Amino acid sequence: MSAPSELLELFRCGSCQVSYLPTDGPCPHCGATARERHTVPALGTVLAATELLSPATGWPSPHRLALVELPGSVRLLAIVEGELPSVGAVVSVRRDGAIYRAGSEPAAAGIERGEGESPRVGATDPSFEPPR
Amino acid sequence: MGRYGKRPEGLIDLAAEAAGLALEGIGRKAIDLLVVGTMLSHGPYGPEAFLPRLAGRLSLETAAGLRVESASGTGGMTFHAAAMALESGRYERALVVAAEKMTDQPTAVITKELSASLHTSEVATGATMPALAALVTERYLQRHGLSTAVIDLASTHARAMGALNPSAHFFQKPATLGEVESSRPVALPLRLLHCSAISDGATALVLERGAGPATVLGLGQGMDALRLVDRVELSTFVATRLAAKRAYESAHLTRKEVDLAEVHDAFSPFGMIHIEDLGICGPGEGPAWFEKGHAELNGRVPVNPSGGVVGRGHPIAASGLAEVAEVALQLRGEAGRHSIGRRPKVGLAQAMSGIGSHNFVTILGREAP
Repeated sequence: MSAPSELLELFRCGSCQVSYLPTDGPCPHCGATARERHTVPALGTVLAATELLSPATGWPSPHRLALVELPGSVRLLAIVEGELPSVGAVVSVRRDGAIYRAGSEPAAAGIERGEGESPRVGATDPSFEPPR
Repeated sequence: MGRYGKRPEGLIDLAAEAAGLALEGIGRKAIDLLVVGTMLSHGPYGPEAFLPRLAGRLSLETAAGLRVESASGTGGMTFHAAAMALESGRYERALVVAAEKMTDQPTAVITKELSASLHTSEVATGATMPALAALVTERYLQRHGLSTAVIDLASTHARAMGALNPSAHFFQKPATLGEVESSRPVALPLRLLHCSAISDGATALVLERGAGPATVLGLGQGMDALRLVDRVELSTFVATRLAAKRAYESAHLTRKEVDLAEVHDAFSPFGMIHIEDLGICGPGEGPAWFEKGHAELNGRVPVNPSGGVVGRGHPIAASGLAEVAEVALQLRGEAGRHSIGRRPKVGLAQAMSGIGSHNFVTILGREAP
């Protein structure tokens, strides 16, 4: 498990400035390829978590996953190590090859919370209100 | 449509059965376009030869053909492809067939195949379709301050409707709240009876140019990021909202004119999210729509009178077309025991691919456009 002082590497798009998880591809928001590396504290807030009792073949049961938001509103899906965290809990995050793992983080006071919904890939039409 | 459930027949037999039922209704009129869809690739043949095999079986080799695929939204895509092809003026009459064979494979194989419609980075963490659905459900419940109990009601509604539908996997098999809440946990908060069943089945319909008792009024598609974490919204489906907006605009209708909705509740809480995204009720009001009886056959806007995906069973590619077919049956007054209380003038079908990466909304009406 990561110590609270550990850092996580992200990419920041050289065009739209949105931070995103490191990838071989272009910026998932605007498609630009220019980017720079930067780091954030390896702590995130749990947006949702689930416990799989019927996991895919090759995974233990139970298998726990969490949607985690890092500072800067970057989100990731992480394998939970240990007990299932509650929504809003702060967890430590570490990269493990192509995946991320999250663990409980008792000394996580003072984490910078994301600033809500940031620009993202996908539908960005501002008219996306429910068609009432 | 043929009966959904555990069937001994193979893919082509299921598809041919549904096609035969659809063709009974048109006499000797010629089909000049065959549009088919199937997703899974196991079995003695891959999906690549599905079209020519079915065309041969139906003696339709002289027709033009299209095979489309969009995971669980395949059925919706087949209908849209056929409607657009007819609208081009190139064809007169299309036979649309969507089918899936699933129960001949172990659940683990099906789970793996369905995961192909997810992002590879999600699959790498051991995520399955139910796992991602559970995360969306969790966000939805959190956002609106709802308890897990509300999703149980969506399941009992689906099973009550499916129990009336002779073609449904769960015909005559309603479920109680107690059975739902005590069913086996799959990916919490989702339990087995919140999840659609692995089923065999096929749906077919004939679509022809011109207006009739069930006429296409509007079509809309919407896409969203494949990977859940890249989305603007995690508790609702932007792809549905975009598809609905486009469908309403093309039909020159508003959500207030929709008399019934068939939505893609692959997981029962999605039924609540979908009717909100379609504007049938407001954000967070989906559970109340079910609690107050508005979704029932005599409700304000009945939802999934066929049983929906949870009550009808989920032969993956077929479900989206079954949704359209159910709306057509309701408009024609031919839905039998699961007819809604007041024969509708306008009905809406919504299909979803994967976890909402590509969704389809189809609006049908009794009146000529």
